[in-house]
Parts: sequence; C-alpha cells; structure tokens
Amino acid sequence: MAKRRACSWVKVLAVCCLWGCATNSPRDAVPAPRALAPAEAKISDRYWRAGAAYSFPERLSYPTDTGVITTLHTPGAFETTGHPFFTPLGENGRACITCHQPADGMSLSARTAQEVWDKLGPTDPLFAAGDGSNCPSLPQRERASHSLLLERGLFRIARPWPPRDHEGQPIEPELDIELVSDPTGCNADLMFGMSSPTPAISVFRRPRPVANLKFATSMGFSFDPKDGLPLEIDRESGVPTSGNLLADDRERTLLGQARDALLTHTDHHGALPSAELQRIIAFESQIYTAVSRHVQAGALDDGGASGGPDALARAPAGKLQSTKSHPIWGEFSAWAAAPSTSDADPQRAFRESVARGAAIFTGRQFLVSDSAGITDVGFGNPVRNSCAFCHNMLHVGMDVAPGQVDLGTTNLPHANPLPELPLFRLTCRPGARAHPHLGRVVLTHDPGYALTTGKCIDIGKITAQSLRGIAARPPYFVNGSASTLAEVIAFYDKRYEMKLSDQEKLDLQHLLEVL
Amino acid sequence: MSLVRCAVVLLLMAAAHTAVAQSRPELHTFITCPIYRDTDAGRKSGCWLAEDPQGVRYDVTLGPVKPQVGHLALIEGVFSSEPNSACGGRVLEPVRVAVLEESCERRIIPADNYPGRPFKSPPEMLAPSDQPRSLPPPPYTEKSFSIYFEYERDFLVYQYAELILEKIVLYAKASQAKRVQVEGFAATEPLVVHGRTLREPLTLAKARAEMVAEALRRLGVPDASISLTWHGAPRKTLDLEGGKLPEPSKRRVVVTVTP
Repeated sequence: MAKRRACSWVKVLAVCCLWGCATNSPRDAVPAPRALAPAEAKISDRYWRAGAAYSFPERLSYPTDTGVITTLHTPGAFETTGHPFFTPLGENGRACITCHQPADGMSLSARTAQEVWDKLGPTDPLFAAGDGSNCPSLPQRERASHSLLLERGLFRIARPWPPRDHEGQPIEPELDIELVSDPTGCNADLMFGMSSPTPAISVFRRPRPVANLKFATSMGFSFDPKDGLPLEIDRESGVPTSGNLLADDRERTLLGQARDALLTHTDHHGALPSAELQRIIAFESQIYTAVSRHVQAGALDDGGASGGPDALARAPAGKLQSTKSHPIWGEFSAWAAAPSTSDADPQRAFRESVARGAAIFTGRQFLVSDSAGITDVGFGNPVRNSCAFCHNMLHVGMDVAPGQVDLGTTNLPHANPLPELPLFRLTCRPGARAHPHLGRVVLTHDPGYALTTGKCIDIGKITAQSLRGIAARPPYFVNGSASTLAEVIAFYDKRYEMKLSDQEKLDLQHLLEVL
Repeated sequence: MSLVRCAVVLLLMAAAHTAVAQSRPELHTFITCPIYRDTDAGRKSGCWLAEDPQGVRYDVTLGPVKPQVGHLALIEGVFSSEPNSACGGRVLEPVRVAVLEESCERRIIPADNYPGRPFKSPPEMLAPSDQPRSLPPPPYTEKSFSIYFEYERDFLVYQYAELILEKIVLYAKASQAKRVQVEGFAATEPLVVHGRTLREPLTLAKARAEMVAEALRRLGVPDASISLTWHGAPRKTLDLEGGKLPEPSKRRVVVTVTP
C-alpha cells in the first residue's frame, strides 16, 4: 500500500514537473504538495479564458485556502480548441468555462471574479452586462455596477413573470410579487424590470458547479415526497428527471440546462447543433471535482480514507445514506482513530476532527422546523433529525429526492442580512394554499422554486447542491450570504437552534474542508 | 316474499347492523392546536399530542401525517388499548391528522421523562429505482385500489401513497390493462365538529383524481387507458387502507384496473 502511494506521488510529481515546463497556461497551476499559498497564485494560472487553446489534463489541481481542489476528466487529456464548452459561442465572448472554473471546483468564486477584474479589467467576458453586472442598464465599466459578482460571486438570473412551464406556456401564478427595495435598480428598470415589455424578476445567484453531475442527474427513487408525485417526465426524452440540477428547477435535463445557459449566460441566439450540445453534455458528465489534499490532513485518500475525485468517479450515484449501515461521509470514517506517528500528531488530530465532523453530520440531531419541503409533507413540524436528513445522497450530500427546500437562506426572517439584494413581497392570492410556515405574505430576496411553479408553497425553496469541492467555491448558499464555511455552520446553528459547541462547529468545518 | 319472511330478513339485517355498530370503535373527532413533545429518542421520534375541547390529551403520533406546531389540526381517530406511557396522552390508533391553515400558538414541550416513540421504518417501503420489480401473478381480473387523502388536501403522502401507486402500475402492466378508471371523491356533505362545519368542495374530488392520474402517467400508465370521474358525498368505507376510519374514508380516490 505504502509503495503504491509512493508510486502515486512519483506520478504526481512527474506530472507537476511536466506541467511546470509549460508556459503560462492553467496547466502551470498544479501545486506542489506543499505549495498551498493561493494568494501567490497568479490569475493567469487560475483563470481559463474562453476561446484560448489549452490542453485539459486528466487531472487538474489548484490550491485553495485550505488544500488542493482536483478536477478529474475520466476519459483523459484533450485539447480544448474548438470544444464548445471552452469556445465562445454567443455574442458576449463567454464560454461555459468562463463561469465554471476548475480552480473553483467548476463553479466561480468571488475571489476569482475580483482577480479577473483587477488583472483583466471590466471588458473581460466574465463581466458581460446581461448577467455579470447588477443590471445591464448600468454603466458597465464601473466596478459598482458589478458589485454583486465581485463581492458575492452572484450572477443575475432574470426569470419571466408570470412563469412559464417547460413547454413555454404561461402559468397562472398563485401569488403576486411586489418590489420592496432593489439597490441594483434592475427590477424597477424600464427595459429589464418587472414592468418592462418582457416582465422579469431579477434574482442573484451563485453558479452551481458543473461537475459530479452523475449524482445530480441520478434518481434514487421514483417518487418525490415534496411534490407528492412521481418524478417529472422530460417531454423531450420521455424519461424521468431528477429535479436536482438548478436552484429553482427551471431546467430538468443537462440538455435543457445547456440551452438555457447558452442563451442567458453566453448570449447565444439560435439553435446550437445537436452534436455540439452533446459534446458539452459529454464533457460535463465526465468531470469530477473534489478536494484531493488538505493542508493539515494531507492526502485525502490516505490512512484508509477515500476522499478526492477518483473515488467519487467510481462511486455509484443516487444512493440513500443510512446512519447505521452506510452513513454519508463514510469516506473518512477510518480516520476516527487515526494512527499515531510521532511526527504527525497535528495531522492525526485533524483527521480525527474530520471523522467527528462526519459523525456529527449524521448523528447530531436537532429540531428541523419551519422548512417548507420537509416539515410540511407529513413528517411534522418540527421533526427531529440531522444534517443527513436532507443531505442524504452518499458521496455528495445532495437530496436523493429532488431537493427543493426552504431553509430560510432567502426568505425573511431567517435569511442573513442582505441589504444589497432586491427584496420582494409575495402575496398569495385568495384560494391558494399559503406558504406552510410563513403565511400568505412573504418577504424574500429570492422566491426560488416559486419562480418556476408560481406556487406559494414553493416560495424560497432552493435545490440542495453537491457539497463536494465546496471549500474551493466561496461564498456559499444560493445568494452568497455566507462568506466562509464557518458562516454556513453558524447559519444552521442559529436557524435550527442546534446549540453546537465550538468543537462541533470546528469538526463540521473540517469535514467540509475535505469534501 | 311473504310478510313473515320479510320481517325475518329485516330483523336479521337490524341485528347485523347492531353488531357492526357495536364492533365499530367510536370515532373521536376534534380540532385542536397540536403540541410537540420533544422526547429526543432519535430521528423522527418526537411525540404529537392533541387536546380535545374537554382538555383530555391524546397521543396522535401514530397517524401517517404528523401535525405542525402553530397550525390547527383536525384529529380523527379511535381509542387504542395501548397505554399512555410513551408520550403522555391517551393513544388514538388508527388516527388521521389534517393540518389546517389557521394559525394557533406554537406549543413545544420537553420530554418530561416520557420515552417517546423511536422511529421504526414502515413495514413496506418503496424500493430504490434501480431494484427490479416483480409483476403480480395471474389471474388478472378487474381490481380496485383506494388511496386516502387528508381533509382539504390532494397531496399524495410519502411512505403511503407511492406504494399503492406502484402496486396499481405493476398490476396494470402485468394485466395489460385496457382501462384504468380513476374516481375522485370529496366529502362534500357537511361534517360538524364542535360547532364548526367542515365541507370539502367538489372541485377537490376532481383535483384528487387528476393528481392520481398524473402520478400514474408519470409512472408509465398510458394516457389513453386512463379515464377520470369525480363525485361528492361518497359512501364511507371501512377497509384497512383507509385506516378503518369511516369519515376520513370519504376522502379518497379509487383506481379500477380492467384487464
């Protein structure tokens, strides 16, 4: 075993050396095992520019604040030239890769946005007016016009209102939306706002990681307990869909997501040839990203653990965790009693902390309350359970059932203070079922799933996402309202009155740092 | 039929009715502000208590749908012989709970040494999608299945409805069903509970039927084989799947599969 590990490191070092011989391309960015100083990383080392000619290796690693994020492309290395994921296809110069960066776990961190602004300036396609600014009508060269992307990593998502179904037909909503305040000005804008010729609700969201998608598209069970129906059938393919792809479930297949993203994020009008769409989907489906090394824990596939993207690529998707027989984050259970070596005590202590964090994740129970999608579907409100109640899919922590839940990240009174975001007042129409816990009038920064369904019960529901590689893509929650993993844990601790001890918080944080 | 034979038949019917009435447990129906007792005995272990207008406290934890603190609940159940020791209330079982929209005080109380009800997985659960299903064996005859709903709801409840839906789909598939009739019912006749009149609209019968039909379609039953009807004022049933509760049994959908 030790010999095999040594061999692995020889290979890694050899690859590092090879990449180090290249010029300033993202391939340079593979860190040496101890090179964990992200502040020193140059933007040219981290940021994959749309349309540039790169070689995408089988494994691609970047430093994060606490370790190394590695992205694995299972078919192996390839040249990106002409690949539609890496090629600007629309009018704004962006490609998919612009907002789904390997250094950020195939999402985009606020830090990367800031570095691109500082080094490449406002004309970089990342800051495209349509969604990379607070509103397209603002002066685009000014930093303030892009403040939400720069400070919170948020992109503008303009949803039609009234909503439209997946066939494009209008849905009669159960609720009315009023604007309470909007520092971005976009929802009141004459051209882009709620009263514009094409009325839209502008909300601001973090990009979801384009990786580990076999888990997001998997269907563990045929029934969705939250909607009270079997999984929805995609009309185009005729097959059920997971409902776990997008924050508001506005698209249910990778094909639909790709088309939507091409239109709304790359300004591509018209139909992309099917072969090109399939190349995008094939690439997305074969990308796995996870933390591979931690500054304190060392290699995450060491000491009996099975972290990192390779194990993730091999793991089956859509499996429900069981606290007793196969708990989530069992990848790190072997560290519960990490072997002691005289020169590695800090490492041992950290690994044990990770294992404790995993045990807390499944075993530390609290009262889950007032969370539409969980506490209104028959379990009762409140219901005693743990983090793994919702984050229940083995290996990734998504929800095996479609994960639209109102945790309070966007709805008042639970949302973190977000004065820079729009605030809406939603009023349920007579006869409509009210939001189960917030009543008939709800204040929210993002109506979430209700922007797709038009239903009061769905206000503020946001689809749970994969927790793998999360350390590489701050800030957190759909609206970037938690800057750090510690703030994520603090939110839950307060929201559900978990009364976590400082040690428990730290253990959970350490767990999240190695996913 | 002679008068004597008529009289005998009537007497027998009356006797049978009396026997049924005597064997049928009394349904206890009331509207209450539910109480959650946090017994902390593992996941999903808390107790749900409900006080009737006389202040008698009942344990309604065993219902398929649990209450929500801060919302009134309609309780319909029968007395169980189980002792009060788990949660601190007279046990209703079977019992059904319907969460009403009206708000009330949020009441969460400590365990007070009650052990609660540690969660037990249901005896039958939906298998993961990747596990093969067995088709029911012949003979295939016309067969009906009932799905029950909570008051004023068309929501198909998890760990209950999906099992029946799957049975319907497998039977329809195995029997190569020519027709799948979906009949929705709503309790449109008034039910008076402590001076309050409860009555479901007929549109709810339609909504329930449409919900079940949509579920069947999503599970692969051909749309062309599905027919929908809906009715008010249904008769009561006492079958096991309805929880043997006559009034809640009116709120149902009956699916009849015809090979």
